[in-house]
Amino acid sequence: MVIKMEEFEPKIVGFLCNWCSYAGADLAGTSRIQYPPNVRVIKVMCSGSVDSIYILRALLEGADGVFIGGCHPGDCHYLDGNYKARRKAVLMNSILDTLGLEKERIWIRWVSASEGQKFADTMREMTEAIKKLGPNPIAKHWNI
Amino acid sequence: MTDKILMVKKGDPVTSVNNLLKELLKSKKIQALLVMQEVPSKAISFPVLISDPDKLNSNVFAPVLPVSTASVISKITKIERSFELIGVVMRACQIRALVELVKLNQANIDNIVIIGVDCLGTFPVNVYSDFPEKESPTQFILNTIKKKNERSNYIRTACQTCKNPVPINVDIIIGLYGLDPKKELLIQINSEKGQKLLEDINLEAVKDAKNREKAVKDILEEKNQNRSDFIKEVGKIKGIDALTKFFDKCINCHNCMKICPICYCKECLFDSSVFNLEANKYIGKAEKKGLFKMPNDSLLFHTTRMNHMVVSCVGCGLCEQACPSDIPLMEIITPIGENAQKIFGYSPGSDIEEKVPMVIYKEDEYQEVGEK
Repeated sequence: MVIKMEEFEPKIVGFLCNWCSYAGADLAGTSRIQYPPNVRVIKVMCSGSVDSIYILRALLEGADGVFIGGCHPGDCHYLDGNYKARRKAVLMNSILDTLGLEKERIWIRWVSASEGQKFADTMREMTEAIKKLGPNPIAKHWNI
Repeated sequence: MTDKILMVKKGDPVTSVNNLLKELLKSKKIQALLVMQEVPSKAISFPVLISDPDKLNSNVFAPVLPVSTASVISKITKIERSFELIGVVMRACQIRALVELVKLNQANIDNIVIIGVDCLGTFPVNVYSDFPEKESPTQFILNTIKKKNERSNYIRTACQTCKNPVPINVDIIIGLYGLDPKKELLIQINSEKGQKLLEDINLEAVKDAKNREKAVKDILEEKNQNRSDFIKEVGKIKGIDALTKFFDKCINCHNCMKICPICYCKECLFDSSVFNLEANKYIGKAEKKGLFKMPNDSLLFHTTRMNHMVVSCVGCGLCEQACPSDIPLMEIITPIGENAQKIFGYSPGSDIEEKVPMVIYKEDEYQEVGEK
């Protein structure tokens, strides 16, 4: 069976922090702002608490992209969790290369509780970007 | 820093060092000593914690590293730091690991005096126990101080590509490079702790320090060259096909994690019940791809472990040695570690004051990841 690229709907796992990004996503919803339904949201207490294992689990199970949403720099509820999340993403990028995945599959963005529109825009942008990258090549491997 | 010389008697450096350590134990300046000692069967040397000088029969030059001595010190000082002075005799890689563990609050070296031994490399455990040459492994490795090519047939990949076989961040160094260990050994005192320990010991002055300097420079250059050659040669494991092929023989025993001095978690997530699913979930997983390999999550384990430890990886290669499936783990860990450490400008084990990269940050760094 040949899957046409137009039919490819990426699956994105989104880790949103409780204090900013999740509230931002909530605002997008309550404000009835439309955005692609490709993201599966998981609420976490802080973007800094997203360990590499969660990201890798998602990617190895076949997710096409992983989104990490945190508070804007300086706004972290735990002071510096988002900065640490960024360092973790830097490290993860260096290992993604070995996995043969593009580093554009992991997005880390700052969305505040008031930025419902920005959340929707970012989701649209990311979905488009992942559509261009194509499906996660790991998804069809059974011997992992 | 003072350099002294320990004269070797009867051409036997092992006994000479053993006598020196015995004197230290007898003087009661140290309450106990952690050192490599041959087991009664003589098959292997293991670290022992010893308090009775009469039972000391150490072999600090035994070219084998069955377990991590850094992990042993972490075990000793984990519940409570030592209140009495303990001497520990270690190789350079294990000292680097110990420094990392101290930074990660997993070991306390307040009352530990570290005696580092110049490392000529170590053999895999089974090569050591069934050594094919006429000499004992220790005699063999000490004889290669002049003809180093002979040892490269036996020493582990990790030792071939060692970052620095000369100890740093230690109180005392027992030096081999640039000396003739049948005649003399270098005793370099690097700290007050070390000075106090050795003040009553009869040591001679160094006559010619140039030999040592040159030998240390040479060995560092050689190892660096080996390391970059090795990375160039093996750095091709990229992409999911190459990666699954590399880990095909993995049986999920998690030995690499258990032996690793840097993998310090008391309970590893992978040993917990987090990944135990209900039967219908396993069937669901099977239905998604048609089939999947059991036990599952082997690649998840390895990639997660890499993420957790590579920044602090000291290159001791115990993971590779402990692998029952003989997966050449250094071929993947070395290039990834080198790359990750370069990104953060971090050299594990080199500076005890410097924080590990994952706990610090700058507000305006890595803005290409994320956004401003």
